[in-house]
Amino acid sequence: MKDPSRIYRWLLLVASVVTVVYLVGAAVRENYLAQWRTVQQEYRNILREKATDDRGRELLAKFRVEMKQASIPALGTVDRCVTCHNGVDDPRMADVEQPHRTHPGHILDKHPVDRFGCTVCHHGQGAALMFREAKADDVFWDYPLFPPEMTESTCVTCHDAEKLPPDQIPLLTVGMRLYREKSCGSCHKLGGRGGALGPALDNEGAKTKHQLIMTNLRPPHTTWAWHNAHFRDPGGVVPDSLMRNPTVTRQEALALTTFMLSQWKRDVPESYLAPDKIEQKYRALHPTPLTGEQVYRQYCTACHGNGTYTRWDKKFSRFIPAIRGVSLISTATREYLQANIEQGRPGTQMPAWGPHAGGLLREEITGVIEYLRAGALAPPAMTALTLHGDGSNGLSLFLRNCGGCHGMNGRGGMAPEIGNPVFQQAAADEFILRTIRNGRIGTAMPAFQRTEAPAFSDQDTADVLAYLRTLGEAKSQKAMSQNATSGTPSGGKP
Amino acid sequence: MAETATKEFLHNLHELPQTVKDSCFRLGKEPESEREESQATFHNLFLHIHSVRVHVRTLKPTLTFGLGLAATASFLITLITGVLLMVYYKPSTDLAYQSIKDIHFTVSTGRFIRNIHRWASQLMVLVVLLHMARVFFTASYKKPREFNWLVGLGLLVITLALSFTGYLLPWDQLAYWAITIGSNIANSPRELTDAIGITKFVDPGGFQKRLLLGANYVGQDALIRFYVLHVFVLPLALVTLLGVHFWRIRKDGGLAKPEDPPGGLAEWGGERRPVFQPLATKTYGLMALVKGKRPPVNRGPENTVMSWPHLFWAELSVFMVTVAVTLILAFYSDAPLKELANAAIPENPAKAPWYFLGLQELVSYSAFMGGMLIPMIVLVGLALIPFLDRRPGGEGTWFGTSHERSVFWQSLFFACAVTVGMLAFTVNYGWLRNWFPNIQQLWIIVINPGSLFVLIFAAWSLFILKRKNSVRLAAVSLFTCFLVGFTLLTYFATVHRGPNWHFYWWPSQWPAH
Repeated sequence: MKDPSRIYRWLLLVASVVTVVYLVGAAVRENYLAQWRTVQQEYRNILREKATDDRGRELLAKFRVEMKQASIPALGTVDRCVTCHNGVDDPRMADVEQPHRTHPGHILDKHPVDRFGCTVCHHGQGAALMFREAKADDVFWDYPLFPPEMTESTCVTCHDAEKLPPDQIPLLTVGMRLYREKSCGSCHKLGGRGGALGPALDNEGAKTKHQLIMTNLRPPHTTWAWHNAHFRDPGGVVPDSLMRNPTVTRQEALALTTFMLSQWKRDVPESYLAPDKIEQKYRALHPTPLTGEQVYRQYCTACHGNGTYTRWDKKFSRFIPAIRGVSLISTATREYLQANIEQGRPGTQMPAWGPHAGGLLREEITGVIEYLRAGALAPPAMTALTLHGDGSNGLSLFLRNCGGCHGMNGRGGMAPEIGNPVFQQAAADEFILRTIRNGRIGTAMPAFQRTEAPAFSDQDTADVLAYLRTLGEAKSQKAMSQNATSGTPSGGKP
Repeated sequence: MAETATKEFLHNLHELPQTVKDSCFRLGKEPESEREESQATFHNLFLHIHSVRVHVRTLKPTLTFGLGLAATASFLITLITGVLLMVYYKPSTDLAYQSIKDIHFTVSTGRFIRNIHRWASQLMVLVVLLHMARVFFTASYKKPREFNWLVGLGLLVITLALSFTGYLLPWDQLAYWAITIGSNIANSPRELTDAIGITKFVDPGGFQKRLLLGANYVGQDALIRFYVLHVFVLPLALVTLLGVHFWRIRKDGGLAKPEDPPGGLAEWGGERRPVFQPLATKTYGLMALVKGKRPPVNRGPENTVMSWPHLFWAELSVFMVTVAVTLILAFYSDAPLKELANAAIPENPAKAPWYFLGLQELVSYSAFMGGMLIPMIVLVGLALIPFLDRRPGGEGTWFGTSHERSVFWQSLFFACAVTVGMLAFTVNYGWLRNWFPNIQQLWIIVINPGSLFVLIFAAWSLFILKRKNSVRLAAVSLFTCFLVGFTLLTYFATVHRGPNWHFYWWPSQWPAH
C-alpha cells in the first residue's frame, strides 16, 4: 500500500517552516524592531552630532540603548516615557524634532523627572513602551495623555492655583475667573458650596470617559472633548439638561475645560505638596467670608440675573423672581429674606443656601441680604387690615385671578409657589397684603388694588389672604404626614 | 600493567561521545527492521502508550482531522506558555493588572508569549468541541468505548473550567465583569428557590456562588482561588484524565475505524505482502496466560502499519500545525486587556467568554433554566448517548449508518429555523413578562425560549426515532440540533447583543457611552 504518512511529512515540513518563520519574526519584531529601540538609535545619532565638547562626548559614551524608567513608589507610578523621550532634560535638544526634544519651559528645573515622573502632570499610560499605548486615547486606559495646552490642569494637585504666576497657568487662571463670573455656583457645588440643580464638580477631573454621556459627541470620546462641547452647548450634549448656554468663546471653553479637569482630589504624599497648597488646605478650614456682592455674583446671577426684573426661563418654564426688585425688598423683612435664602424653596429650583446645605457662611448670607436690600425704599403706610377673610370666596378669586400663573393649590407654575412651606412660614401677612395690593414693579405681578381701577376690594384681598393661609396649613400637614420630603428640589419641576 | 590501564582509560575517554549516546538510545541508529521499529515505540517511556502497529485506516486525515491531537497540542502549548507567564504574574488584586502590563511591555517577547497563551486556550476550547462532534458523528462512542466518551465529557468540563478560571487572572474590566456574570449564574438556583419561597432554608445558589468566590463578591479571595485552580488543580485533573483517555484508546483497540472488507484491504487493490519476516529471534514475549476476552486485535495484520514512523509523523505534523496556527494568530492579534477592574463602573454589555455566551443568552431569559438546568440536561444527555445507542455498526465512518447524512441535514435546517425563529420572536415581541407584567416568576422559569428549545428539539428527536425507527438517527438529530443551537446562540449573543442586552444588527450601532 502506498505510504500512509507521506502527507503528514509534507504537512510537518510546511508547518515547521511557518513556525520557524513566525518565531524568528516575533523575536525580531518584539526585540530588535521595537519602536523604542529605533527611537533610541536615532537619539544616539543625534548625540553623536552634538558631541562637540567634553560634556557632549561624555553623554554619548554613557548612553546605552535599553529600557529606561522613572519608578516613583511614593506616587505609585512607573513612567517609561523617558525610554523614547531621552532628550527631555538635555537643553541642547531644544531644536530637535520630537520625541527627542527638550521639555519646554523651565518646569523640569523644579520638577525633575526622577522625582516626579511624567504621568503625574501629563497623564497617559506611563508603563507603556509604544507611543500609541502611552498616549492611550483609543486604547483601554482611564486617563489618556492630556493635550499639551491642558497640562496645567494638574498643577493644582500640589499647588494653590491662586498663588502660581498667571502666565504659567493662563488657561487655568481664565477658567477660575470665568467660573465665578458666569456664576456656575448657582447650580453646581464646588468645595461644598453652591447650588443643587447640577452635579457637584469636586471630582470632575477624576471622571473617566465611561462616566460621561458620549451619545451626542463625535469621536474622539475624551473627557476634555466632552467638557469642551458641553460648555459650548450644554443641551446638545446632555439630553434634558437645564443648564443655560454660558455663551463662551472657543478659548474660554478651553479655559473652563482646563479648570474642570483640575478638579481632582488626588492623594499625593505631603512631601510633594507646595507650601502654598498646605496653606490653602488650612485656609479652607477657616474661610474668609465673601462680600455680599461677591456672593450674589457667584451664586445667584445665573438664575436671577441682576435681580431687578423678573426673568422668564425657558428651561424652567417659569418666571424667576426679581429678588432685588424694588417692590420686593421694600416689603420683605430681613427675616423673610434670610429664611428663603437659608432654606430655599423645597420642591422648586431654589436650593437651600444655609451653611449645612449650600455651604454659605452665616456672615455671607447676612452680607448678601444687605446687598439685596441696598436701595430699599421705606414702604408706604398701609391701612391696617381689620377685615376677616373668607377662604371660600378667596378660593374663587384665586382661581380666577391668580391660579393661571401661581398654579392650582398655589403649587407654582410660571410664578412662584406660594403654597411652599418656607414661603408660608417666612412671609408675614402684611408682606402678602402689600404684594397683592401694590404688585411688583418690573415683574409680571400686577397690582390688584391700583388706585385707578382696583380689581380687588379690601375684603377681596383679605379673602385671598385667608385662602392662601389654608394652603400653608394643608401643605405643612401633608409635609408632616409624609415625613417631610422637602429639601431636594427636583430639576425641571415647575 | 599501568600502561594498559592508562590506555584503557584514554580509549574510554576517546569513545565518550559514542558510549554516552549508546547508553541513552538503546538502538543508537534509525530502526531498520520492523522489530527495531517496534522497539522504538515499545521501549520508550513517552511513546509506549501507543500500540506498536496501527490500522492504516486510522491514519486517514479525514477520519479524525487530528482533532484530539490538536486539543492535546493546544493544551501543551498553553501549559508551556502558562508556566512562562507564571514567572511574572502576581495573583494579587493590587499587582495582577500591572504584572500583565509589564509582561506585555517590558518582558522580552512577553507580549508574544501572552498572546500565544490566550490564543492556544481559545483554540483548545474550540478544538475540544469539534473533537466531540467528530467522535459523535463517527459513532466512536459505541461499545467498548462508552467509558472513554464519559472521560471525554469530563475533559470538556475541565477545559471549560480552565479557560474560565484563567479569564479572571488579568483583573481587568473584561475579567472582573465576566466572572461576576459567571458567579451570578452559579447563584441562579436562587431564582427557583425565591419563586418557591424556600431560600431562607435551602440556598444552593448562594452556596455555589460563595464556594466559587470565597466571598460574596469578586475580590482577592476569588482571584487566589481561581489562580490555584487554574495553575494546579485543574491542570492536574486534566492530565490525569488525559492519561486515562489515552490508555482507554489502547485498551479499546485503538481509534474507531471503518470495517475492513472480508478479504482484507488487499481485496481493494492494496498489495499483498508478507508482514512478518522469519527471524532467528522471537518477535514477542509471552507475559502471562489468563482467562478472559482476548484484546480486540481481530483485524488482519496486512491492514496495519508500524507506528514508527507513520503514526508519529502524523502526530508530529498535527502538533506542528497547531503550533503554527497559534503562532500566526498570536503574531497578528493581541490578547485583549481593558482598564483596571473597577467595581463602580460596570461593563455594558458585560459578556462572558465566548464559549459561555450561548448560555448567557439563555440566562437572559431565565437564570436558573439557562444557567443551571439546561447545561445539566445537556451534559446528562451527552453522557447517556453511548448507553442508549448500543446497536453496533457504523463506527469509524462519518455518517456510517444509512440515512444518517440526510437526517443530519434535515435536523440542521430544522434547528436553524427554530432557533432563528425563536430569537426573532423574542427580539420583536419580548416574552411573558412583557405581556403579563405581574406574572409569577415560576411561569417564566418553566416556559422560556431555553426550555422551549429543549422541548422542541427533544420532540423532533422523538419524531425521528419513530419515523426512521433508529436510536442512532434520533441521537444524530438531537446532537445536530444541540450543535446548531449552541453555534447560533453563541453567534447571536456575540454579535447582536449590545448594551443592556438589547438587540442590535451590528456593534457599530451600539450607542456611545
